[in-house]
Amino acid sequence: MGSLLDRDDPYFIDFPQRVKDIQAEMAKENIDVYLGSRLRTLSWITDAFCPWRSFIVIPSEGLPTVFTFVIDAARIADDSWLGEDHVYGFAPMGGQDQIEQIADFVLDLLNNGKGRIGVESGMSNYLTEGWLTYYEYSQFEAAFSNAELVNAHTIIDKLALIKDQGTINRFREASRIVDVGHQAVKDALQNGGYKGMTETEIAGLAAYAMRKQGSEFEWSFTGGNEIASGYRTGYMGGACTPASRRKIQAGEPLMVDIHAMFKLGLGDHAHNYLIGPANDRQRRHADNFIDIVKLTLETYRAGITPSKLAEQMMDFADERGFSDYMVPGFEHGIGFMGDEWRIGLNDGPFPYWTNPDHVYRKNEVLICAMQYACQEEGIGFRYENPIVIHEDHCEPLSKFPLAIEEIT
Amino acid sequence: MAEKFQYLSPEWRDEAERRLKAELSPERMNHITSSMSNIYLNCPEGKKRFLFFKFDNGELSELLVGDAEPPEAEFRITGDYDVFARITRCELGSQKALMTRKLKLKGNMIKALKLASVADRLNKVLSGIPTEF
Repeated sequence: MGSLLDRDDPYFIDFPQRVKDIQAEMAKENIDVYLGSRLRTLSWITDAFCPWRSFIVIPSEGLPTVFTFVIDAARIADDSWLGEDHVYGFAPMGGQDQIEQIADFVLDLLNNGKGRIGVESGMSNYLTEGWLTYYEYSQFEAAFSNAELVNAHTIIDKLALIKDQGTINRFREASRIVDVGHQAVKDALQNGGYKGMTETEIAGLAAYAMRKQGSEFEWSFTGGNEIASGYRTGYMGGACTPASRRKIQAGEPLMVDIHAMFKLGLGDHAHNYLIGPANDRQRRHADNFIDIVKLTLETYRAGITPSKLAEQMMDFADERGFSDYMVPGFEHGIGFMGDEWRIGLNDGPFPYWTNPDHVYRKNEVLICAMQYACQEEGIGFRYENPIVIHEDHCEPLSKFPLAIEEIT
Repeated sequence: MAEKFQYLSPEWRDEAERRLKAELSPERMNHITSSMSNIYLNCPEGKKRFLFFKFDNGELSELLVGDAEPPEAEFRITGDYDVFARITRCELGSQKALMTRKLKLKGNMIKALKLASVADRLNKVLSGIPTEF
């Protein structure tokens, strides 16, 4: 609530204005009520983390109302700027299950049950996206027999694309916290500290360091903090490594990909090590990777597209003889909690995937993400860092020094 | 033999009001300010009826019965006459009636949960009225 009221707060976001912007877009599309169900929509409007199945009903005028599992409704009402009158809990009771409760609420907003209701339907690789399920859609369709359901998620996607300063500052702080986590990991690994340590232990000590700094969540659904050692760093085309019970070994690579959340802003930075003694071949892979990360960060700016950037980087990798080891993608989308999928809008050749011709604009935030994997040699590296797109450069938010150090 | 009041009649309402005011102090009612309409469907005479409560700072300020459209209330509970009658006779808990879909609640459940124990106290008082159903 503090950040809502205090415009001088670095994390201030004008949430009531966001709602008005949505309502203006609804009016343009002749939508009477917007029924949101995606986690990203809920985060972006409520300023609260909604981990259970939740919905948000946005009328044509006035404040939205959240509907969530009853066990979490009072907490969300406390955390959100919307307050108790605009957060409802649902439960299996007469009139209080999510379908009937929301249907009754929406019908009260419509004129004799008639009108257009915007819903969120689509697909994603991100499991917790929160699209309306077939069952939910069917039930609402039956309940709103005199109204028309229309897919309207682009309204939110467009408005959420360019980040305001409060949002960017929340991402900056989340990244600062991640850097503290990385320093804690590095300190723990050095001077033989890695011996006997497992991937899960590293994930935990990073989490502890970040929590001490105020992180709310190791938010990634990929097991929180992702740690990979040895051959696990080099899965072909792989970029998902929930920490395992594997022990860190001398002479192996180690990838540390950790996540923090600050006021729904997300930190996500991957840093890599070679556990000594490193051989020349490992060192060469590491140098390749660092060089392409540096070049990628120098290349990101407003006006470039994912495909143009990928072409340039893959040309560089090919010239250097390591294109076989590169996953030819250099980004993933990011926004408030729940927004971790494609870049930009759903306007590419493959529905709901990143449009390779999306033109980056100033103040977009994305994760610069790269994966290098040489499976036959059991070695790989990952780079992830939230970046802010500026006119002529990008701003990496995690400041942990870019390097692949040898740990002894 | 004690006088019996016809359920939801004006006389029953008067007795309910007398007992609620006598037995439920503002403290016992947690100083609530709220209102609730119980909508009775399928009444014996075939009508729809209502029972409306309004509390201001824990004081019962309005208790209405009728067969017209009930006043606007923070909570609206709809169900068959027989279900409400069983609740008033303490044969059925209101929570169970909601959980088995015998009653339908309209209103913010988070606020309703705060009032659940108060509603139970209220029903307990009403159950003490000698009533002809």
